[in-house]
Amino acid sequence: MTLPEQAWSLLNRALEAYVDSPRAANWLRGQLARFTEPVRLAVVGPRGSGKSTLVNALAGETVAGAGGGRYHLPAGRSQPELVLLDTPPYHADPAAVERMCLDADAVLQLTAHPHSADLSLLRALQDHPIAGVAPVNALVVLSRADELGGGRVDAIVSARQVARRHRRGNVLSSLCQDVVPVAALAACAGRTLTEAEFDLLAGLVAADKAELDALLLSADRFAADPERARLLVRFGLFGVRLAITLVRRGADTRPALAAQLLQRSGFTDLRDAISGYFTDRREVLKARSALIGLEVVLRREPRPAAAPLVAELEQVLAGAHEFAELRVLAALRTGRARLPDELREEALRLVGAYGTDAAERLGDTGVPPRQLAMSALGLWQEYAENPVLGAAERQAAAVVVRSCAALALTTG
Amino acid sequence: MTPSPWLDVLDDTIRACGVHARTDLVDRLRTRRAELGRAGVRVLVLGGPGQGKSQLINGLVNAPVCAVGDDVTTAVPAIVQHSPAPSGAIVTDDGPRRGIESPGRVPVAVESVTARANRHAGAIRAEVGLPRKLLEPGLALIDSPPVGSPVAQHTHRTLAALAQADAVLLVTDATSELSAAELDLLGRVVRLCPTVVVVLTKIDLAPGWREIAERTRERLVRDGLPATVLPVSASLRLAAARTGDAVLNEESGYAPLVRYLHQDLMGHVEVLRRRSVAALVHLTVEQLATPLREQLTELRSAGTDELTMRWRAAGRRLEELQRESTRWQTVLSDEVADLIADLDFDLRDRTRRIAREADEYFDVADPARDWPEFEQWLRDNLEAVAKTNSGWLLDRFEWIARKIATYVAPRGSEGLPEALLAGAPRDHIGDLRMPAVERFGVGQKLFVGMRGSYSGLLMFGLATTLAGMPLINPISLGAGAAFGAKSVFEERGNRLKRRQAAAKTATHRHVDDFFLTYGKESKDTVRLIHRELRDRCTAVAHELRTEITDTAKRIKQVIDAETAERGARAREVARRIEELNLLYRRGHALAGAAEPRGLTA
Repeated sequence: MTLPEQAWSLLNRALEAYVDSPRAANWLRGQLARFTEPVRLAVVGPRGSGKSTLVNALAGETVAGAGGGRYHLPAGRSQPELVLLDTPPYHADPAAVERMCLDADAVLQLTAHPHSADLSLLRALQDHPIAGVAPVNALVVLSRADELGGGRVDAIVSARQVARRHRRGNVLSSLCQDVVPVAALAACAGRTLTEAEFDLLAGLVAADKAELDALLLSADRFAADPERARLLVRFGLFGVRLAITLVRRGADTRPALAAQLLQRSGFTDLRDAISGYFTDRREVLKARSALIGLEVVLRREPRPAAAPLVAELEQVLAGAHEFAELRVLAALRTGRARLPDELREEALRLVGAYGTDAAERLGDTGVPPRQLAMSALGLWQEYAENPVLGAAERQAAAVVVRSCAALALTTG
Repeated sequence: MTPSPWLDVLDDTIRACGVHARTDLVDRLRTRRAELGRAGVRVLVLGGPGQGKSQLINGLVNAPVCAVGDDVTTAVPAIVQHSPAPSGAIVTDDGPRRGIESPGRVPVAVESVTARANRHAGAIRAEVGLPRKLLEPGLALIDSPPVGSPVAQHTHRTLAALAQADAVLLVTDATSELSAAELDLLGRVVRLCPTVVVVLTKIDLAPGWREIAERTRERLVRDGLPATVLPVSASLRLAAARTGDAVLNEESGYAPLVRYLHQDLMGHVEVLRRRSVAALVHLTVEQLATPLREQLTELRSAGTDELTMRWRAAGRRLEELQRESTRWQTVLSDEVADLIADLDFDLRDRTRRIAREADEYFDVADPARDWPEFEQWLRDNLEAVAKTNSGWLLDRFEWIARKIATYVAPRGSEGLPEALLAGAPRDHIGDLRMPAVERFGVGQKLFVGMRGSYSGLLMFGLATTLAGMPLINPISLGAGAAFGAKSVFEERGNRLKRRQAAAKTATHRHVDDFFLTYGKESKDTVRLIHRELRDRCTAVAHELRTEITDTAKRIKQVIDAETAERGARAREVARRIEELNLLYRRGHALAGAAEPRGLTA
């Protein structure tokens, strides 16, 4: 039985055991209902870290106001169905934000600078018997990547370097899956770029180059004209500089510019990370949330009828291979575990980075799947014991071995 | 204006540190004094990571001498100062290998010196010399590693550099307001180095920098931190330098900053010195006075509490003992009187019972035959009585002694007079004399028989003579024989009765004797023990009283001595604090004197 199935069955049996306690039963019914909903993603961060901007960017329109809210994003072309929770600043009301995060399946922790990152919320969230098993539901977002790079056009490149250094650090890697830089304002502008804005930008580019460069030197200069000032508010100086550079380099239509803006602002990476770590693994995250919800009931209202459930919950957690797979996925992607490119790709495929079906995991080569699984199993068993590889890599290989074994069983 | 009044104050402070045996402070102040004696002004550029500290200096000297990057870049302080030609050097401290007194100094090309110093493991600072008009009067700009960077050593190095700074530029970028950490840092910096300016960088990037600057100013005023806020943009300044664009330079906001450095700081070196010394004196006095103040409060408040408590306890104990002494004496005599009465009754009761038993015995028994056996029995019984009675006496006394002991010495029954109980009455039974017992021998029997038979013979013989028979006839003979036998029989009974009565009397007398002698001796013993017990208890009580009185006296002496010493010490500490306060006021006067325009917040 897979983890989601186990969680589902546990929840249903708990509901039977607690049928006479209205509070517990209501809570459990809520958990069951939540199981089938889309992933809930909470966006948290200190004041001014760009929470609402990022929520708007993800939503593709201006939805978020001050003080938080809940927004349902229907499935789109490049984005699966998602529920966004915009939260108030963490320090204004830590208890409320923590409650919202427990209500969410995954968390985007925003921070302006990696050094000053306030990780107390993530620590509080992972300080839970079940959440602590595997921190698979959090991403740290460097939401003002443009400032990290001093507002230069290539700011995102250097922000990526900063992120790379931090995602391999012990502190962050034990609290989240990955560190992703994004220039939230530029991303939001790219998502909601209007024809008028594009025309204005194109018009600016068409004018004298030297004059435009002088304007781009400072926000003050660019904002001298009210129309440009509005553009500046929407894009930020980095966004304006980036957009103008992109138009100069030949992004001559609005969709082209928008796509480039998303790419260069780091938004595409963020969206990939969200889908790779969260929405593609919706069931695992939902199972995780359900198990946490179940643990709360079992702890708050212990009763003899629920005693076997406690034991079983522990058993399920101890054997939860899906969490280990997600951690390995992140370790391979972030470079915490380093394998040669070819092996890395295979490992990623086997742990389900490109789809969790047996066929997607094993690849379509015409060979019978069971045979493929068996040969992969043998190969990775060797890697898991290969002394040439480092400890992190061998550990990753061991997880891949377990995935292969499961594949060999299911394809049987 | 007298030449350097601050030197006097500083020297006095150093002396004060010496007096307070703070050699660490003396060393630090001496070093600082030497630094202050040199010409030139050191301006430390300080701030959190990624705020643009290095770029600010690059903007000031119009050259990329300090390495800049998007992540934490600066790892060691870099000193930028005037030199006739561009020069650079890395100062390393290679530890014991080269000796502390000769840190290595490696010349490096000026363009790459900071970048290499940041990567150099043993580097402690980088030195950059540039021919700049701004630096010429002796201005040195110090770039510092970020405060609050994940590498703890960075913060440490920066704070060490802070101690040597004459003025501080606290750098924060204009994209956000001052954070709590920065405000905290500013508060700390102001205490160490009072001349601080907050520089708001990256105003080219932030459209709302004017608002941020205004809010920062308000915040500083609200927190009572005296610092000017200068918004600048290094990128604009560098761009202006490249193109020679005066307008752009004006926009960069560097002009006020340069003016501040050039005129307000370099123009008033003496005031800077005074301020630094004032801050230094304040800090030092604070450090010296804090332990003294604590000492003073301690001296004044606490101290003899425990001793006083013990002294009071001793007094209370003494009173208690006095109260108890009359009480235990009464109890003792009461108890002894009870004991005597009880013993007397017991003895009487027991002897009576024995006498009664003896009477019953001799109602039946013949003393002539059973006397030895009876004598043994009586002796045993009396002995048992004596034993029981004296045992009881001892037991009761022990009990009394224990009871009294708790009164005499309530904290443990020391000196319980166990030994007193050794002497007990013994062997008062004496010899029991056999009562004079008439034996009824054959001759006596014969005589009595004859007497009886004679009267019988005579009686019946006379009676039968009337019938014509002779006086001696068979009847009279028969009667004589019968009467004789009867007499003998009766005589025997009588004699037994008499014997028994005699035996009973003898027994009574003996038991009475026993009662008298034993009773007397028992009472004597009781009195003896009573007296001894009383004496002993009195002695113990006295001893105890003396001991407690002595203790109390000693404690009192200690308390008195300590209070006196404490008072002396408190006066001494207060005097020292007063001295330090004087120093503090002198320092304050230094800072307050001749505040020039532009340096005030």
